[in-house]
Amino acid sequence: MYRLALNMLFGDRAKLAMLLCGLAFSALLMAQQSSVFFGIMSWTYTPMVNIRAQVWVSDPMVEQVNDAKPLRDTDLGRVRSVDGVAWAAPLHTSFVQARMQDGNFKLITLVGIDADTFAGAPAVLTQGRIEDLRLPDTVIVDEWGASLMGRMGVGPDGKPRSTPLKVGDTFEINDIQARIVGICKVRRAFTGGPFVYTTYDRAKGYTLGARRTLSFMLVEPQKGVAPAELCGRIERDTGLKAWTSDTVIWNWGERSLARNTFWWFWTNTGIPFSFGTAVLLGLFVGIAISGQTFYSFVLENLKYFAAIKAMGAGMGVIARMLFVQAFTAGLIGFGLGAGMAQAIGRVMIEKGMPPFVMFPQILWATFALVLGISFVSAVIGIIKVSRVDAASVFRG
Amino acid sequence: MSHLAHTVAVRATGVDMFFGTPDNQVVALKQADFEARRGELIMLVGPSGCGKTTLLSVIAGTLTPQAGTVEVFGQRLDGLGQEALTTFRRKNLGFVFQSFNLIPTLTVVENVMVPLLIQGRPYDEARERSLALIEKVGLKGREEGRPNALSGGQQQRVAIARALVHEPPLLICDEPTSALDKDTGAHIMQLVRDLSRSPERCVVVVTHDHRIFRFADRIAEMEDGRISRVVDDPKLLDTSHL
Repeated sequence: MYRLALNMLFGDRAKLAMLLCGLAFSALLMAQQSSVFFGIMSWTYTPMVNIRAQVWVSDPMVEQVNDAKPLRDTDLGRVRSVDGVAWAAPLHTSFVQARMQDGNFKLITLVGIDADTFAGAPAVLTQGRIEDLRLPDTVIVDEWGASLMGRMGVGPDGKPRSTPLKVGDTFEINDIQARIVGICKVRRAFTGGPFVYTTYDRAKGYTLGARRTLSFMLVEPQKGVAPAELCGRIERDTGLKAWTSDTVIWNWGERSLARNTFWWFWTNTGIPFSFGTAVLLGLFVGIAISGQTFYSFVLENLKYFAAIKAMGAGMGVIARMLFVQAFTAGLIGFGLGAGMAQAIGRVMIEKGMPPFVMFPQILWATFALVLGISFVSAVIGIIKVSRVDAASVFRG
Repeated sequence: MSHLAHTVAVRATGVDMFFGTPDNQVVALKQADFEARRGELIMLVGPSGCGKTTLLSVIAGTLTPQAGTVEVFGQRLDGLGQEALTTFRRKNLGFVFQSFNLIPTLTVVENVMVPLLIQGRPYDEARERSLALIEKVGLKGREEGRPNALSGGQQQRVAIARALVHEPPLLICDEPTSALDKDTGAHIMQLVRDLSRSPERCVVVVTHDHRIFRFADRIAEMEDGRISRVVDDPKLLDTSHL
């Protein structure tokens, strides 16, 4: 009977198309919005991805990675003296205004790293060398920043065009020259501004007037010492806050700074509400369109279901037929919707905006929700068919 | 006719059937008695509202009467629960409906296969048997078409094939010719009659169509919820009120 149930479903192409549209749209909305949500949320802890260290140490009042509270330089020595620390390096992060050569200003994320060890330096340089940061007034800018801070001009088509900054170009931070010696590839941040890397000492110079410039300390545990364990020791011995740097959302531990950053944004911003609303909307639209279309499909076939009942099919068989029809439509609708979400995601990733992270878990959750929609649709149909009297087939 | 011709196939005795609330009760059957024999084609006739369809539903086990007994091929139906009645219908009954009730999104052969698949027969076996019966009702070559592409007479032939494919002892026909012209109706009834000529089968036909009375072995006339008389010769019936 299940094969016939499927033939009944596929035989009514108009209804099937409508049903699939509802399910696919619903799946698309849920998968795409969830992926953009996780993409944006993953940008909130971008510094954790771009600046690599096993343990981060901060002021005890720090709640998330974008909210650095300056430490005293002497704290570095205290951390280095903790048992289990292999090395500790200073890190400066701040938002400062940079003045372009054309007079325009841009808000940048200034990152000052230790000049001796280059701990926290970008992993991939597409132009230049990291060692050139030791030269006077030098900085390394990320690719996105280089195009964002680029020189405005007119293209061959007569339209305004920005020429990305390149090695050798200069700009100013607090009236101090910054000469680009490298272009790096890093992940973009939630704040949207360019990443400008320089040495820790030079960063002090760029942020004139700041008494304390030590934002974080990057710490490497000695061999055999677990990062979480070292965090405990640092906190106990120094009274500072120590964090692990795991950024894998499904595996991060209690001490992860990325995790705390994620939940800080979850609690303190309207992002989850906004995207959650969109996902719920997708679910409700799916239930409304698919439920209504499937119900109308059942209504149209009601007299045939009544005839099948009269011929001796129990409600169990009919219920299974309806489930097969609803779940098959759900499966196809999910495939179409998830496929479209993937295609849109690819375009987004190529353009770099908005962020798009489609975890397998998102697909599984979307799949489960689409099956839920199918289940609700089938149950609505089953209730209707169960109320049909088999004797009604004799009433014309 | 064989020696079984006078053996009872269907017997309903003292059947009462009411619809509606106690304050607003409609009496459909009142102490109705009915008997059909093996190997015969019996017609139930009478004016609209006399209880023909209700009696047919009671015999088919799709309605349970408030009083009386119903026995079909030795099986008492009046004490059976819904599940047992469903099983009974699955094994013993074939239906031909007034509006055919062929599923438009299925092919002809798939429509005919339905009763076999309900019985849990394998798909390939059901298909093979259905194809054979479709050929027998004269629709070879139309197996993979949709019912909507067929004429009314052809659709009713498909319905007959569907009603007989699982070889049920009792064939229930509800106004089988009402949607057909005279000649097509006569062809269909001839087909039903031919296919029903088995000592292990009984055909009950509800109809208003006096043009097909001649195909009946007997005709039971209903009036006010009961069988008023049973005749062997259609000429004995007053058809002016039908």
